[in-house]
Amino acid sequence: MAGDLLLFLPEAACLLMALALFGLSLPRVQDQRRVHSWTMGLSLVMVAAGLAGLFQEGSLFFEAYRVDLFSQFFKLLLAVALFLVLSICRQLTGVEERYQPEFFLFLTTCTLGMMLMVSAVELMTLYVALELSSFSLYILVPLRSGDNIDVEAGVKYLFIGITASCVMLFGMSYIFGAVHSTYLAKIAATLPLWIHQPGAVIGLLLTLSGLLFKLAAFPFHFWAPDVYQGAANQVTTYIATASKAAAVALLIRLTALSAGTSLYLLDVLMALCVASMTLGNLAAMVQSDLKRMLAYSSVAHAGYVLMGVLTMTRLGYSSAMFYSLAYMVMNFAAFMVVVKVASGGQDLKISDLAGLHRRAPLLALTLMLALFSLAGIPPTVGFTGKFLVFAAAMQDGHFWLVLVGMINATLSLYYYLMVIKAAYLAEPAGPREALAVSGPTRALNYALIAAMVYLGLFPRQVLELAEQAVRNIF
Amino acid sequence: MNAGFPYLSAILLAPALGMLVILLLPHGNQRAVRWVSLVSAVICLALSVYLYAAYDRAAAGLQFVERASWVPSLGIFYYLAVDGINLPMVLLTSIVFFTGVWTMWDLQHRVKEFFALMLLMVVGVYGVFLSLDLFFLFVWYDVSLFPMYPLIAIWGSTRKEYGALKLTLYLLAGSALVLPGILYVYFQSGLFTFDLVQIAQAGLPVEAQYLGFFLFLFGFGVLAGLWPFHTWSPVGHVAAPTAVSMIHAGVLMKLGAYGVLRVGMFLCPQGLGDWSPLFALLATVGIVYGAFVGLAQTDLKYVIGYSSVSHMGLVSLGLATMSQGGLSGAVFQMFAHGIMTALFFSSVGHIYDRTHTKLIPELGGMAKVMPRASFFFILAALAGIGVPCLASFWAELLVFIAGYRAYPVLGVCAVLGLVVSALFMLRVVQKTFYGVKNERFAQAGDMTMVMIVPRALLAGTILLFGLLPRLALDLINTGVAPLVGMFK
Repeated sequence: MAGDLLLFLPEAACLLMALALFGLSLPRVQDQRRVHSWTMGLSLVMVAAGLAGLFQEGSLFFEAYRVDLFSQFFKLLLAVALFLVLSICRQLTGVEERYQPEFFLFLTTCTLGMMLMVSAVELMTLYVALELSSFSLYILVPLRSGDNIDVEAGVKYLFIGITASCVMLFGMSYIFGAVHSTYLAKIAATLPLWIHQPGAVIGLLLTLSGLLFKLAAFPFHFWAPDVYQGAANQVTTYIATASKAAAVALLIRLTALSAGTSLYLLDVLMALCVASMTLGNLAAMVQSDLKRMLAYSSVAHAGYVLMGVLTMTRLGYSSAMFYSLAYMVMNFAAFMVVVKVASGGQDLKISDLAGLHRRAPLLALTLMLALFSLAGIPPTVGFTGKFLVFAAAMQDGHFWLVLVGMINATLSLYYYLMVIKAAYLAEPAGPREALAVSGPTRALNYALIAAMVYLGLFPRQVLELAEQAVRNIF
Repeated sequence: MNAGFPYLSAILLAPALGMLVILLLPHGNQRAVRWVSLVSAVICLALSVYLYAAYDRAAAGLQFVERASWVPSLGIFYYLAVDGINLPMVLLTSIVFFTGVWTMWDLQHRVKEFFALMLLMVVGVYGVFLSLDLFFLFVWYDVSLFPMYPLIAIWGSTRKEYGALKLTLYLLAGSALVLPGILYVYFQSGLFTFDLVQIAQAGLPVEAQYLGFFLFLFGFGVLAGLWPFHTWSPVGHVAAPTAVSMIHAGVLMKLGAYGVLRVGMFLCPQGLGDWSPLFALLATVGIVYGAFVGLAQTDLKYVIGYSSVSHMGLVSLGLATMSQGGLSGAVFQMFAHGIMTALFFSSVGHIYDRTHTKLIPELGGMAKVMPRASFFFILAALAGIGVPCLASFWAELLVFIAGYRAYPVLGVCAVLGLVVSALFMLRVVQKTFYGVKNERFAQAGDMTMVMIVPRALLAGTILLFGLLPRLALDLINTGVAPLVGMFK
């Protein structure tokens, strides 16, 4: 029993944190500072639990729940993502004050859902976990004070999300019909025999579409710009970091089912990959709102991740894992700057960044590095991530895909440079006072800069961990 | 493996540490920023000169090797070494870096950021020249490119934002061909190593070399100013501040030619054979085109920009001949042109600082106003024309002989191109430095003795290597010889 608890440690910590936050949300009057400090403390415990549980292995709940390095890697990633997001929630200016404990609570339950998701190896478990995280987000997205755009974003996210879930469930029914089991292990054993049947491929594709929705890959990306813009900045940060990582994890688990035997599936994924990259980058070029731009850029990045995933090889999967870590770090860095600069919780136009290098040199530096990293410029982690997924695609013989990917990376540089130009060159129309950057924020900035460069130049440890992790999923 | 002092890592680390120190210095401490930059430049220069002297020319081959496994599962190595090809480039970088820092001594605007970015760029340049691992070569290649954007866009002049954006996008579009090329070669070799030497020794399948060389030629060729992908270069040079123009035209463009040579020709010697007529044709078009377009320019920096296109065309032509003389000439030309262009931009930088114009019709009679600056400009112009006793003479001679042997028609065209470029250089010199004096600039000061030092160093290098070409050629020949053997 003690052993089982150890297996369940990160989730247990997350559950406890959710319960504690529930308790904190009960009193009528709250001390915001105290709530935030508690949340941060609990979240740190969760990261510790994630670290402690990293090398656990075993299975729970009648084999429906597998704990292996792959799942634990992502759980740690999720715990860190939650911690990072919470760390920029000290002044929750975009959210009404009385909802703030609930805000933290739903972030936690969402993370719990994702943690369960990455360990789920049975379709129903997976679905329930996915819904837990989705429903938390349905509540989080409209939680924003001020203008009325939030309602639109919330409704949009809810409807598209529920539709995606339905489609996914429908797809699962096909898979169940084909192989008479909901266990991934059994499906993986039998599916290759059935993979040339249209039903099985359709089932798999429909199931994947639920995840592609989470990843905001083409053609399931329509929600992203509106929701990124409409949700509170901190929520957007969370959606853009943690939620993506969990989606990649599941995508890897599910595509591994076909074990690369279906050329049809490969073709579809390749088409989606190219369309996501190209469309995301082209659309991002014309945005004037920073969050909308980052939303389209996330569509493009979904394409890059797909490039690693669609190879369905060990290098491909481990590179996709590395990429999701890279994406989390650099995207978080970019959003952190958004949150800090939009100190009133408002949306941020790219032109609002004018003069940032003088108002807050450190934030400007972090932003520049994050954007160069997103554009895939070495020696940042974004480059190493792209290099790895491109290497995986090349290994599988997709020369053209790599070329298209590189052309896209160059295209993307254009709009990232536009933001850097705004931050470093443009002069603000009126005088703007300097932004106060507190000590912890300063430390966070240094840590992010160091992480982006360190992981870019020294990918060895993480890569080896990822390689070890994907060994188990075949 | 050499167990001794890691000289090459030290060269790489000196500017990197310098950059870190500068970033950590408090704002406003401009003096310290300058001194830190200068110290790291001096360290690099001293180490490079030492390496240049200590390199064993009789033994040849790769020396001062430092090699360690970086990511074993992918076969990435930290692999630094020098041979007869990259050692002159390292020396060139050090000279231009040192003189560039000195030239920018009086910069007042956002000093800390400027030197930090400049040092970062220099780290990238050294990295490319020293690395023999394809992964790192590419990493450093991009590191050397992206600081150009802020450097030009913030401190530049004349359509700086346009120039910066155009340059960055062009160059990174070039690297968009290089990366697939590297990955393609990596998997085609079947060795799962990014070690350049190992792949070259094992040899690639002939079909792979064909596509591989194409990717490397056009990928790196963009940076080498290969026609018709050169249009970023004059625009970028004109927009960039003095030291950045110096490093950029002097060193960075060489990275492109070096990439074609070190990666493209080294890994795909047979692929080169199929592409070399096209390569030579584009190079010659560049030589002639650069010369003619230069003839029509009225902006001093544009003149140098187009003469760079023309001179870099000579480098490409030398490479395309696939002969000992052509390759040696090309490498020597890279070195000589780098020093010469640095001197050009350094002199123009001074003229522009004092007169706030670089338009030829507005200037005139500058030889009387600022004799020292004029002397250096004219010396650079003479070197560009290929006057004997100056370094470029030998380089251009070698390339022309080899070019004429390999491609008689193109060789003649190239020589004619040089005649035109001599014409326009002399015209520029005549109009700018002699002729009617513009009284408006009569009070513009000449270079101070302190600011002469970097220019004198550059001028001295041109003379030294012009009088003693064997100083460079003996070394370069040892590096080129094994490569020429591979073409057979």
